[in-house]
Parts: sequence; structure tokens; C-alpha cells
Amino acid sequence: MNRIMSLIRNELSKIYIMKSTWIMYAFLLAAVVFSLVMNTVTDSVDTETSYSDDWKTELEEENETLMQEIEDEKEEDPFIEQRNMQQIEENTYRIDNDVRPSGYHAGNFVLDNLFGSSLINLFTIIVAGGIVANEFRWGTIKQLLIRPIPRATILLSKYIAVLLFALLTMLSLLVMTFIIGAIMYGLPSAGPETLVNRPEGLSHNGVMSEIMLQYGFKLINIIVLATFAFMISSIFRSSALAIGISMFLMFAGTTASVAMSQYAWSKFVLFANTDLAVYFNSMGPIREEMTIGFSVAVIAVYMLIFIVAAWSVFTKRDVT
Amino acid sequence: MPESTVAITELNKKIGRKTIIKDLDFTVRPGEVFGFIGPNGAGKTTTIRMMVGLMGITGGDVIIQGNSIKKNYKQAISEVGAIVENPEMYPFMTGWQNLKHFARMSQGVTQERINEVIRLVGLENAIKTKVAKYSLGMRQRLGIAQALLHNPSVLILDEPTNGLDPSGIREIRRYIRKLAVEDGVSVIVSSHLLSEIDLMCDRIGVIKNGEIIAIKDLNEVDETKVHTVKLTLEPKEQAIELLKLEETIKIVDTTDQIQVEMNQSDIPQLITKLVAEDIAVYGVDAAKSTLEERFLEMIGENVIE
Repeated sequence: MNRIMSLIRNELSKIYIMKSTWIMYAFLLAAVVFSLVMNTVTDSVDTETSYSDDWKTELEEENETLMQEIEDEKEEDPFIEQRNMQQIEENTYRIDNDVRPSGYHAGNFVLDNLFGSSLINLFTIIVAGGIVANEFRWGTIKQLLIRPIPRATILLSKYIAVLLFALLTMLSLLVMTFIIGAIMYGLPSAGPETLVNRPEGLSHNGVMSEIMLQYGFKLINIIVLATFAFMISSIFRSSALAIGISMFLMFAGTTASVAMSQYAWSKFVLFANTDLAVYFNSMGPIREEMTIGFSVAVIAVYMLIFIVAAWSVFTKRDVT
Repeated sequence: MPESTVAITELNKKIGRKTIIKDLDFTVRPGEVFGFIGPNGAGKTTTIRMMVGLMGITGGDVIIQGNSIKKNYKQAISEVGAIVENPEMYPFMTGWQNLKHFARMSQGVTQERINEVIRLVGLENAIKTKVAKYSLGMRQRLGIAQALLHNPSVLILDEPTNGLDPSGIREIRRYIRKLAVEDGVSVIVSSHLLSEIDLMCDRIGVIKNGEIIAIKDLNEVDETKVHTVKLTLEPKEQAIELLKLEETIKIVDTTDQIQVEMNQSDIPQLITKLVAEDIAVYGVDAAKSTLEERFLEMIGENVIE
């Protein structure tokens, strides 16, 4: 146990000693700052409005104004009806279900920056694709494998290091956006709740639990692709190949699986299952008969195949 | 202590249908420097890779301190420190970080031990510098430090003198002799440059086309062997006339010094004769026939690059 901890420590130190890793973190920070700037200069997100204790009356008044707007501007703006009706629907839901709006706060900023996880997906692919292949490229694999440690343990330590990198980077995004959000927009009152679109319609959830849910689903997505990149890296000893294929799948995988959704077998395609968030938003899975349990099972089977493939090649190959 | 620290028995390696290594057999004793020589492509590195578990063994076995590398890999490899091919280290880490990294992979390597090996190879001043900035000689030294971290009883160095300048080679030779003589480490060094390992080895095994074709003890003095002897004599002409009369002496060259081939045991007699004839003997240089020459004799043809 002690040994594997030392190995993981070695692997993490090799990841974090490299400048390229810190450049990744700089990019992540830049993306967060960019979203902050966009929040400030555009009015795509309402960060201003706040509500008093008499918020139900205020929401009703807001709804009336919104209805009036539809009447007045229908001619010039054909989309205003849809937009305002959505807001009215949300406001009505809040009134009916007693969900107090808490204005824009740090928690909202964290949720709005969920898109940053795509960058993390990319970074984790790069790390996972290089972690075995680079040792071959540097020639250090020979030094690594002539130790009193089974090859499987070396490989496991590298895999765990990749998972920890993904987790740590996701946590940094979360902490980074929370701190910046807290400074810019303030902290929410106790137990803030947020409205969410679920398959069965509008619903609400605690902000904290919604953050965990959304970030958690993204993390699963990241780990699946990272495992794939890790496998390619271990089998073909080429980080370029591992990163290339994984990135291609990251961009094209989901789209392709949607395109194939007319065929029943498409539900067994990995990328039809990797985004578990579809079971919690209005999108839904690509085929009706799919359930979250099914998707989790499909992911597990693929992951197992990837890991076994990486392990069987890595532990048996002649290192030259 | 066992008779041999390393015992290689009927080692075979096949890749596809091709036999790369065929029935290799040799042992290395404690405190011995064993030279493993042969032309490029003879199978030196393949053998070393099998010895350290980087390559699978098709047949036979490698026993290190009584443990089979095939069956008891962990115990066997714990006794081995090695550099396989080039001494590759993480270029983006300092020498110290590299050593720390590898120290974590073995049990019981203390901070003191790390400092000790750094001192041994004389890298104290460069240890906080990134390996990317190291010269080849420094990397070779760091490689040796890394191989010695866990106090192995067997040290395997694949082409340790590759790319080093003469002073670097001398230095490596000094470490290796020291380790063998003072610490009783068995050292296996491979090389295709015979003259470079000539002076550090106790025994050599010659490998050609995947087979050991000769194993020779270099410390044995072969009295009956013909040696090349260089003589500096005055007056030269008279001396040559005299030498021509000796049946056991063959004159090879007279342009500068007089170079002859003769048995080593005949040298004292010759000197007595020369002195009796009033010839001034300024120098007698009986060169031990070099490893290179013997190597050529053994393999019977000139295939050394």
C-alpha cells in the first residue's frame, strides 16, 4: 500500500513538475476570466436583480411586465414570446412551489462555468495520452521497469495519477469559480436553491447538490475518455495517436451516436452513454428504452475492456 | 557468499522464428568485473534486457543471488542495479529529483544513501541542475548513481563508455574497479569497443551471433604466449644482426624501434645476450597483447566496427 502511494506520488510529481501542466491551468483561469467578462459586458445573464422578502409580489409584477413586453414588441422581435414565456413559467414555478430566488451569486457562477470542463476533458486526454507513451519517448521506461515492482502496479499507479489529475483539476475549476464568483457576486443566503430542467419538466434543487451532480457527470465523461487515451497510450506507445483519436471522439462521439440513434444497436455505442446528465435534463437519452442504469453498465463494460487491454499489452511486452 | 552472483543457464530468445540468443551460459562471481563483448547486433543488449526482465525469456533462466528472474522477479531484481543502453533520465527534473524518484521505487533507500551515491559519482555541484543541461558524462554518472541507490550486489552497465571522452572513460573505469574491489559488487559491462573495457575487466565473455564463443580470464599470464616486444637498442644495426640469429625471435618492424615477436619467458635471456655483446639496452617494452588482438583471434575474423 505504501509502495503504490509512493508510485502515485512519483507520477503526480512528474505531471505537476512540467510547465505544460501549469499552462493548462492558466488556460482554465483565462476561460473563467473570459466568462466573467462576458457576464459583465453582455446582458446574457442577469446578475443584477435581487429580491426582497416580498419576492412573490415582485415576481408577479415581473410577470406582468414580461406579458406587456410580449404584446408591445411581438412585431419587431419574433422570439420575444418564447423567451419571456420561459421566464414567466419559471417565476410561476417559484411562486407555486415556494422557491425563493436568491439573485445571481457565486453558486450560479460555478454552474455557469461548467463549460470549462471541456477544457479539462482536453487536458486530461493530453495527460492520459502521454503518461505511458512519454516514458517510452524519453527512454525512461527501462529505468521504471527494472525495479522490484510488478508492471501492473506501475501501470495502476499511472492510471490512478490520471484520475487524480482529472479530479484535482475539476476541483480547481470549482474552487476557482467559487472564489471569483464570491468576490464578484457575493455568497448566497443559506440553502440557496436553483431551478432545473428535468425530463419531467421544471423542478428545483439545492445549488450545492446541483453543482455536485453536474460536475460529477462531467467528471465521468472525462474519465471515460481519459481511460481510452490511457489505453491507446499503453498499447501503441504514441501520445500523438492517443491524444488525436481521443480528441476526435470527444468532439465527434456524441454527435455520431445521435446520428445513429435510429438503429437499436446504437444504444451500445459508448458515446451514446457517457453523458449521464441527459437523464437529468430536458435532452433525454438518444433512445427511449435507455435508462441511467443501462448507461452506467455500458460505461463500466467499456472501461473494463480498456483497462484489461492496456494491462495485458503493457505487462507482457518486450521493452526495447 | 555464493559462488556466483549471476548464473545464466541455457538462455534463449526467439523472436518469431528467429533465434536471437542461443544457449547462453555464463556465471559472474562476487567482486568480479565481467566484460560482455561482441560486435554490434551480436545480442549483448538483448541478453541484458532479459537479465533485468525488460524482455521475456524464451528458454533457460537468469539466476541472480539464487532467485530466478522468471519466477522470483521481485527478489531477483532487488539485487540488480542497471543502465540499459543510454542512461536516460527525466530531462525536466534535476539530478536530485531523478534520484529521489527512483529511490521511492525501492525499499529502504534513505536520504543519506542518496547523498552517498551523489558523492561517490561526484555530482554534488550539479545535482540541483536540470538533467536537460547535463553533459553525456554527467548523465552517465547520474545513471550509475541511480543504479547504485539500493545497494545492489549486481551492477549491469550496457555500453557504459559509449560517447564518453577518454577522461570520462577513465573515471567510469575507476568507479567500476572500486565497486568491485571495495564493495564486492559483481559488475557486468558490455561493450563493442574492446580497448575501452580491456583495463576494467577480470574476465570477458565474447558473444557472436547470439552465442558465447569464448570466456577468458584476463588475469592469467600466458607464459608461452607470443608477445610483441619493443626494443630500444644502440647501436641499432648491430642489434638487428644479432636478433636475426635468434630462431625464436621474429623481427616485425625496425623503422623506429625494433619490434619483435617472441615468448615472454625468453626476454631475460635475450637481454643477457645483448648486454654480453656490448649493446646498450635503453628500453624493453613487452606489451601484453591487447584484448582487441585476442578478441580478433577468438572470433577469427575482423567484424568489429
